[in-house]
Amino acid sequence: MSERTAAAIQVTDLVRSFGARKALDGLSFQLPAGAFLSIFGPNGAGKTTLLRILATLTAPSKGTAQVFGYDVVKDSVELRRRIGIISHNPLLYPDLSAAENLAFFADLYCLENPQARIDELLSAVELKHRRYDLVRTFSRGMTQRLSIARALLPEPDVLFLDEPYSGLDPHASDILDGLIRSVRDRYTFVMVSHDLDKGLELASDVLILARGKKVLYQQTADLDREAFRTLYRETVGLGVS
Amino acid sequence: MKVSAFRQYRALLRKDIVMELRTKEMVTSMGLYAMLVLIIYYVALSQAGQAFDVTRIAAGLLLLVVVFTSMLGLNRSLVHEQDQGQLEALLLAPVDRPIIFFAKATTNLLFLAIVEVIIVPFFLIFFVSGAVVPTGSTVAVSQSGPAWMTALALLIGSIGIAGVGTLLATMSVNTKGRDFILAVLFIPVMFPLLLVIVSALSAVLTGDAGYAQTFWKMCAIGAGYDAIMIAVAFALYEFILGV
Repeated sequence: MSERTAAAIQVTDLVRSFGARKALDGLSFQLPAGAFLSIFGPNGAGKTTLLRILATLTAPSKGTAQVFGYDVVKDSVELRRRIGIISHNPLLYPDLSAAENLAFFADLYCLENPQARIDELLSAVELKHRRYDLVRTFSRGMTQRLSIARALLPEPDVLFLDEPYSGLDPHASDILDGLIRSVRDRYTFVMVSHDLDKGLELASDVLILARGKKVLYQQTADLDREAFRTLYRETVGLGVS
Repeated sequence: MKVSAFRQYRALLRKDIVMELRTKEMVTSMGLYAMLVLIIYYVALSQAGQAFDVTRIAAGLLLLVVVFTSMLGLNRSLVHEQDQGQLEALLLAPVDRPIIFFAKATTNLLFLAIVEVIIVPFFLIFFVSGAVVPTGSTVAVSQSGPAWMTALALLIGSIGIAGVGTLLATMSVNTKGRDFILAVLFIPVMFPLLLVIVSALSAVLTGDAGYAQTFWKMCAIGAGYDAIMIAVAFALYEFILGV
C-alpha cells in the first residue's frame, strides 16, 4: 500500500448502549484518508450502529468519533456536508422523478449550480434518459444507481455503504461495483457487508466486530486471507451477545 | 457552499406539495373522512326534535371534525417519509432540525386549511344556516357572527394543531401503535387550545350578546397557547428526532 495519510476517521473508546446491552463496547481504531474499510461481523455485532454513529444518525453513549476532524456529536451539521451514505434502502422519494429527487437534495445541501451537477451525475449512473420518470417506476438496480448519485451529489469526503449489494441481481450488482470502482480513488469508504469476497475485493483495511468489540483491524496488504476467513467463520459463530 | 435555511425550508415544502399533488393521499383522505363525519352528524341530529338548537353545539361539532381529520393527516404526514428510509436521508443532510419541523408543520397546516375550506361551508350550510337542517331541528341564523371570525378562530386552532401535532406525530411515528399513541398524546396536550377555540367558535356561531368580547379574549388566549407550544416544539424537535 502507498504511504498512509492523515486520519479520516478516528474512533476512541466508543460505547453505544441500548438499555443494558452494549452494541459497541470500547471500540477504537483509526482509518487514513483515501482508505476503503470493510466491516464484517455476525448480526448484532455493532456494524450498523458504528456506521450510524459515524454518519451522525446515532449519538454514542461514551467515547468519541471524529470524521476528518469533525466530532460526530459537536460538529454534526458541518460533518453532514462531508458525508454520503448508500444503503440497502434507497433513501429516495418514489413519487418524485430522478431529477426532482436530486434537485431536492441539492437544495438541502445548498449546492451552487445544481443543474450541472445533476446532469453530470445522471450521466455517470446512466440514468439521464430516465431523468423525468418517477422513481417508483425504476427497477431495484436503477434505484440503487440513483441512490449513488444522491450520495455523491454534495461531493462528500467519506462514503458510507451499508449493505449496498443487498437485494441486487448479479447484473445490477456488477453495475454498482463498476460505479464504486470508478470513484474509488476520490473518496474514503466505509462499507458494512456480509459478503466476504466483495468486501475483501474492495478493501484496503478490514475490521471484524463481534459483540460490539474489535476482533481484528488490519490492512489487506498484510492480510493472510485464509487465516482471515477462518477467523471470520469463528467470529460469526460467536453470534450476538 | 453557503447554507440557506430558507432554501432548505422551501425545498422541503415544495417536495411535500409536489408529492401531494401527485398522490392526492392526504387531502383526499382527509376531505372524504371529514365529509363522512358530517354525514354522521346529520344522521345523528336528524331526530333531535323541535326544541333542540343545533347552533348551541355547532362549535363543538365543527372542532370535532377538524381534530379527527387533522389526526388522520398528521399520522400520514411522516409515514411517507419512512417507506424507503427518506427520513434518514433528511437527517443525513446538513439541515437544522427546526427547519424540518417548520416545513412539516407548514405543510400540515396547509393541507388542513384546504380541507377546512372545503368542509366548513358544508358544515355551516348543513348545521347553522338552516338551508338543509335535520328534520325538526331549530336554528338561529340571524344571530351568527361574521364568517371571517369563524375563519380566524379555526386558523388559530389549526396553527396549534399543525405545530404541536407535527411534534407528536414525529414522536409516535416509530412506535408500534402510532395512530393510538398520537391520539393519546394529542388530546391531553391540545385540551386547553380545543377548549378555547370551541368557546371562540361558539361565541361567533350563536352570536349571543357580547359575543365579540368573548371571541377576542379566547382568540388571544389561543394565540398565546400557539406561540408557547410551537416554541416548545421548536426547541424539542432535535431531541425528539434523537440526532
